[in-house]
Amino acid sequence: MPSSTSPTSGAAEPGSLSADAVDGLQQALAAEHAAVWSYGLAAAFLGSASQAAAAEGSSVHQGRAEANERWIKGAGATPRAAEPAYVPPEQVTNATTAAAMLATVESDVCVAWRGVLERTDDAALRGIALAALTDAAVRATRWRVTAGQTPATPAFPGKP
Amino acid sequence: MLRAGALAALAAPLLASCFGETEPPAPDPLAELAAQARSDAATATAIASAHADLAAAATLIAQARQEHAVALQQEVDRERPPTSSTAPSPTGATPPSAPPSAKEAEQALTQALTSAEQQAAGLVPTVPAYRAGLLGSVAAGCASLREVLS
Repeated sequence: MPSSTSPTSGAAEPGSLSADAVDGLQQALAAEHAAVWSYGLAAAFLGSASQAAAAEGSSVHQGRAEANERWIKGAGATPRAAEPAYVPPEQVTNATTAAAMLATVESDVCVAWRGVLERTDDAALRGIALAALTDAAVRATRWRVTAGQTPATPAFPGKP
Repeated sequence: MLRAGALAALAAPLLASCFGETEPPAPDPLAELAAQARSDAATATAIASAHADLAAAATLIAQARQEHAVALQQEVDRERPPTSSTAPSPTGATPPSAPPSAKEAEQALTQALTSAEQQAAGLVPTVPAYRAGLLGSVAAGCASLREVLS
């Protein structure tokens, strides 16, 4: 019934995002950069059984970081650069502490992508954020299991 | 100007008639998710006590799905405070029984988590932003719980 009520001006361009959404993407990008770096560090400590999972995790996060940069550029902003190095929450000295670090890093990625979900109404971006959140939550669970941590997952991955 | 004014004058009563005589509001889609989460928690609890091999995973699933139920119901009630007729009746009727074999029990849990993940994920694109975060975490939580079973 409410037909032709929308004016012709003011329609958002496809791909344009709110400043809030872009800010959320920048935080997700920072988390993805940290994840890529952490996988690089962890690979030196993880056992042979975990190397394939680590390589896959690294490549997934690298891909997400690049896709994220495209979204941010598409919105007319400048993607933030990766830091040269990061400080792990705990010192990494062996396979267990390496897996624990990856669980923490994946958990941080979950928080960042949930933040994107809460800051955009763009259905396509929500789909990407949900996929990233879910993927990171599952990886975090695997690394917690590898590190022998319980519970293996929180009820609400990504809840800060 | 005149034309716009005339349209506005027309639009006002139209809008009033649209929103004035409201039909009963559609049920909140999160209410169904909350009910499913409660049911999953009960099933997982039954499985945890029936199958020792699955006890650890099923207990974690039961706890997490119960937390999902509480958070989803809170959101339903926040949006539309319950009246005595709409409040969910306590489902104390018949506690679910665990499937007889461990394999069937594990399959039942996997199926319940897959379905719950899909239901929550399906709502994410269209709900208000503050609900998208909650539903995203519920979906990711269900996917992670499935990982604990495998």
